[in-house]
Amino acid sequence: MAEQPYAIEMRGITKTFGSVVANKDVNLTLKKGEILALLGENGSGKTTLMNMLSGIYAPDKGEILVDGEPAVIASPEDAKRLGIGMVHQHFKLVDVFSAADNIWMGKSGAGFSLGRDRYQEVADTAKRFGFDLDPRKKVESMAVSEKQTLEIIKVLYYGAKVIILDEPTAVLTVQEIEKLFGVLRRMKEDGHSIIIITHKLNEVLDVSDRVAILRKGEYIGTVDTASTNEQELTEYMVGRKVDLNIDRPVVEKTRPLLEIRDLTILNDEGATAIDHVNFYIRGGEILGVAGIAGCGQRELCEAIAGLRPIQSGQMIHKGDNIVGLSPKAILDKGISMSFIPEDRLGMGLAPSLSITDNMLLKNYGDSKGPLVDRKLGRADAEHVIEELGVVTPSTETPVRLLSGGNVQKVLLGREIKAGPNVLITAYPVRGLDINSSYAIYHILNQQKQDGVGILFVGEDLDVMLALCDKIMVLCHGRMMGVVHAHKTSKEELGLMMTGALDLSNKYEDKPAGIARDTNIVPDQPEDEGKEA
Amino acid sequence: MRFHIVKRDAFPLWKRLSFYLGAVVIALLLGAVVLMAIGVNPVDYYWRMFTMGMVGNKIAYRAFENYLKVFVPLVVTSVALSLAFKMRFWNIGGEGQFILGAVAAAAVAFQAGPLLPEPLTLVLMCLAAMLAAGLYGVVTAVFKVKFGTSETLLTLMLNYVALYFITFLGETKAAWNFFLEPSSARPIFTSFSSLAEFPGIPIGKFHLNVCVILAVLIGVGIYFYLKYTKHGYEIAVVGDSIGTARYAGMKVNRIILRTVFLSACLIGLAAAFKVGTAGILSTAITDDVGWTGIIVAWLAKLNTGVIFLVSALIGVLQYGSAAAAATFAQVDSSFADMLQGAILFLVLAADFFTRFRVVPSAKGGNSNGNG
Repeated sequence: MAEQPYAIEMRGITKTFGSVVANKDVNLTLKKGEILALLGENGSGKTTLMNMLSGIYAPDKGEILVDGEPAVIASPEDAKRLGIGMVHQHFKLVDVFSAADNIWMGKSGAGFSLGRDRYQEVADTAKRFGFDLDPRKKVESMAVSEKQTLEIIKVLYYGAKVIILDEPTAVLTVQEIEKLFGVLRRMKEDGHSIIIITHKLNEVLDVSDRVAILRKGEYIGTVDTASTNEQELTEYMVGRKVDLNIDRPVVEKTRPLLEIRDLTILNDEGATAIDHVNFYIRGGEILGVAGIAGCGQRELCEAIAGLRPIQSGQMIHKGDNIVGLSPKAILDKGISMSFIPEDRLGMGLAPSLSITDNMLLKNYGDSKGPLVDRKLGRADAEHVIEELGVVTPSTETPVRLLSGGNVQKVLLGREIKAGPNVLITAYPVRGLDINSSYAIYHILNQQKQDGVGILFVGEDLDVMLALCDKIMVLCHGRMMGVVHAHKTSKEELGLMMTGALDLSNKYEDKPAGIARDTNIVPDQPEDEGKEA
Repeated sequence: MRFHIVKRDAFPLWKRLSFYLGAVVIALLLGAVVLMAIGVNPVDYYWRMFTMGMVGNKIAYRAFENYLKVFVPLVVTSVALSLAFKMRFWNIGGEGQFILGAVAAAAVAFQAGPLLPEPLTLVLMCLAAMLAAGLYGVVTAVFKVKFGTSETLLTLMLNYVALYFITFLGETKAAWNFFLEPSSARPIFTSFSSLAEFPGIPIGKFHLNVCVILAVLIGVGIYFYLKYTKHGYEIAVVGDSIGTARYAGMKVNRIILRTVFLSACLIGLAAAFKVGTAGILSTAITDDVGWTGIIVAWLAKLNTGVIFLVSALIGVLQYGSAAAAATFAQVDSSFADMLQGAILFLVLAADFFTRFRVVPSAKGGNSNGNG
């Protein structure tokens, strides 16, 4: 063989979980010194495939060649020995350990005692690859991007030549993503081979040399990045032509339905999560909330839904103060909140209960007598299944057995069924494939056209720019300003998200966030009277 | 050859049942090995045990009555525990709650028995037992919702407090201690069966104790409660996801307190049934139902109907081994405990195999399953 062997070659890999085929006869090649993007929708088997490379799963069938030699990767230890390292989507770090200790604890033959030199050693590794890292810093006090850097250094320290990154950009801002890509390019020049898992097309085109595409566990093919484009990649990924435009219907806006004034909220640790924030939502508009993970979105949503006590400030719904009301009372006023947490099931749904039972979650108490009216729930379940096209064997199927897209449709369906006038939705498309995401956007737009005011907490700036009317940016709990979606740019939002740009005091005559076009000003007597 | 574990899909019910049955059979075979080692014919022994010495016995109805006395407290306690477990509240304080209930019931029998008609005394005994056990149980729930303490530790430790309390009553000879036999110089518990005893409904020679009927009613009631009522729905949601319950506007703390109180109350009721049929206190009054009930509830996967089935089987093991001990003096009745342990482990193993299977790792080529 004259040709240089591949760094990694996977042949005919099949992996099943029960009857679910996660990977079917997948072939993948990784050249030395290239960046390969692994593209596919959620549930297409990207992570499963990579987990087999890093020794977490064993393939049911097929073989893996490393540097042209057949290899058995039965454990992460094996992978480490073969020079394969993976940076997982959810970081595997010990919070109370320093950066150096997190790296050092996985080192084989590190000896029994903790030497002082470990800090120097780790710092040297970081410097060698051009990273800036304080080896004594504890993980718990690190920002997300720092943690990711630490994970990458860890992998490099163990001498990995093949580095796999699972959705590394999901938690980063635009500027941080640029920085990460710079690092990846430098590593490539150093002779490392990199696989980056993602479903964001612009990133694929930006950073990769080749793109391998998976669809529903099957290997579709590998193309050179230089010779392809977004539309083509989407078709490979979804299997047919997809319209990538998101509608933004223009709807006549009503007066503000929900106004937040000077709101301050503490997080679970007692630190300020939301710091004197002002904004309002009108009927017939979608207000986006952008910010890096953990900048107070969750606390804000919980406070509005009455699940978290507030420190100070006012929340006014149609002229009534809702501060201090019970979650149920707020619900009855027509404020509906759905928050999709990272595990996607933790809040809003009871995973082991049936769709019917989940439909009843918020109104089971409305029926008379001590019994639960399941007929009502079943009718609602049937309605939502039909309206939103939920794929399920029956209304009595436990929600955890449904796929992610269907779970989220059930959740959103229940919220909409209640006929809210303010809909708060956080990460409604988290982890969904393109089709399901567009179905959700469509549902939100329909609600908007029906005059509902929508607060949309999102993570994909491209989507928010296309879908929202206005976007509010939070940074460490402080509002950096509200911008019109059609007048701003990703770069501007990115700067605001990191706190580098503060537009909240742009209009000096008006208080921050109570934007130009509100028709209720704080000192309007009509409102004050009602609050008292 | 390497192996790895693969998840199974829908596993038909009959196959699952046959796995469980297989587990029980293997446990019995293991027991047979032990029996043979001590020179006992396992077939004879198991025959005695599973027929509970009733075959060829002229007073077999007596044996069955006594078997039901073992069965009733166990099944009621198991059902009560399943209520808390369904909410993921790990009440392992059944022993302590049972003891407190038993003491309260006995106290009522001694004090009110001579003054009131017997039916009224029995009702008061039940109420007192439920209240005492319920309060003893709900304390842990209060600490959990107020301070986030671990209910597992608290309920566990309170078991010992209760145990030492009843031991104290049993060993302290004093004028106030009406639980003890006045005529005896040594401290021994005295009987109150002449004052209050749950009656039996005669069916021929056999007397069906009202407690059995009440236990069945409780079972049906709890099944209905969990499945159809709003309370049951709330328990299911809180158990499944506490965050979701809060988010839906449920008063989670109240639901926890209410459910734990109910669970402990029913354990108290089980204790009243036990005391009201035994007619005497004892430091071993619980018969370990607080522990066994945990096993029963889990083996039955918290399904009320199955709890009755499993309790009946465990009851057969316990009572049967005692009955068999009459013939096979060399086999201690704690053989039943060993057998019970073996069954638990093997059923858990069978459970694993109903959900997963072990397949040899294949290198290319030969496929497994439907690929």
